[in-house]
Amino acid sequence: MADYVHPDVLVSTEWVAEHLSDPSVRIVESNEDRALYTQGHISGAVEIDWQVDLQDQVCRDYISREDFEKLCSLNGISNDTTVVLYGDKNNWWACYAFWVFKLYGHANCRIMNGGRKRWQLDGREWSSDRVKYPHSHYTAPEQDHSIRSLRDDVLKHQKAGKPLVDVRSPEEYSGERLHMPDYPNEGALRGGHIPGAVNVPWVLSVNEDGTFKSRKDLEKLYLRDGNLKRKARTIAYCRIGERSSLTWFVLKYLLGFGNVKNYDGSWMEWGNCVRMPIVQGSAIAGYPVEKSPPVPSASTHA
Amino acid sequence: MNSVQTRLDRIIEEFSDLDGREKLELLLDYANSLAPLSQEYQSRKVSEDRRVPECQTPVFLWAEVTNGMASLIAEVAPEAPTVKGFVAILAAAIDGQPAAAACLLPDNVLEQMGLADVLGILRTRGLRAIVGRVNRGILNEMKPHDHHDHHDQRTM
Repeated sequence: MADYVHPDVLVSTEWVAEHLSDPSVRIVESNEDRALYTQGHISGAVEIDWQVDLQDQVCRDYISREDFEKLCSLNGISNDTTVVLYGDKNNWWACYAFWVFKLYGHANCRIMNGGRKRWQLDGREWSSDRVKYPHSHYTAPEQDHSIRSLRDDVLKHQKAGKPLVDVRSPEEYSGERLHMPDYPNEGALRGGHIPGAVNVPWVLSVNEDGTFKSRKDLEKLYLRDGNLKRKARTIAYCRIGERSSLTWFVLKYLLGFGNVKNYDGSWMEWGNCVRMPIVQGSAIAGYPVEKSPPVPSASTHA
Repeated sequence: MNSVQTRLDRIIEEFSDLDGREKLELLLDYANSLAPLSQEYQSRKVSEDRRVPECQTPVFLWAEVTNGMASLIAEVAPEAPTVKGFVAILAAAIDGQPAAAACLLPDNVLEQMGLADVLGILRTRGLRAIVGRVNRGILNEMKPHDHHDHHDQRTM
């Protein structure tokens, strides 16, 4: 882990096992399948659900600053607590929750590398205890939009020809599918991708055991194959901003991109809005489909 | 009211007074009650296309009708206990019941159990797709005369 650009955002399962009763640390689980936490969680971990706890249940948005303060307070999280997030599905939802904690400016957030999968593979214990902490005092600033892109920002960014990374599956990117493979169609009216976006499916960032790939592999994936630049303002998106939270985490912390944002409206907004520019078709590695890579000079084409 | 609805009502009542955490614990009890696939279905799993495309984690379903009676046989990956529990609930509601009633599972079971709020909109939508798949599966397996059983039962 040590060779990532910001290695301090990751902790190992071993580190977590050693900090189970550290009062300055709060372990937080966030899953795709909510019943997993009830079935068994890391001793002392609280659950913060991406859907029920972090999203506003009426307006399509995250919870308000006040509700985020309440959520932290209820879970005994103070402004100076080290929040360690982990979960199922390669930490996909843990990264989503991490992003929301950063959106509200929480200083000290970590991801437990490998999530539930690695903890299980290491043969570590699960607890089914009900966890409760005394309420804490928490104050959050307004949302930090240096990590969040709204639709109009993305449109401006796209028109300016700046880099976008579409982290969905190749079939969603090309427009063959309106939803994730094996997930129900969640209602985008149009298929395809934002013009100019390269396609780097999020799941390529992780190993079989749920841990992140090495810096070298990630650099190959995003910098060489994906043709993305560390210094360029970059926006990541997917379907509802969940998978792209993981890519955002990889680009910002593991690879040290200076200015990367997550477009949480993502395809479920873009593909449903009137008059948004859309391109369909398969990607060429590192290039958007509508912009061909340069032809090598020693071309054998007739 | 048909017997499938009576069974469902009983399950809904079991869930109704519980808090969110207890609802999930009960759902896990149902998940643990789902019988493992028999040898026959293990081999059919390989030879037949029974995977439910709506679920990311592998879910294999057989909605079957024998002599007009429905049954639901399923295998759900252990990393998806919510789906597993919900499938077990549907199986408990329809197993051995007339197919004509079993193919009419209501799509708001989760709302009635109070689980929709615990699981959130997107998860609820995914699980609802399974109800549709079970209903359609049974309907496809029904012979023409199976359709009358339900009618007869209602008019008795």
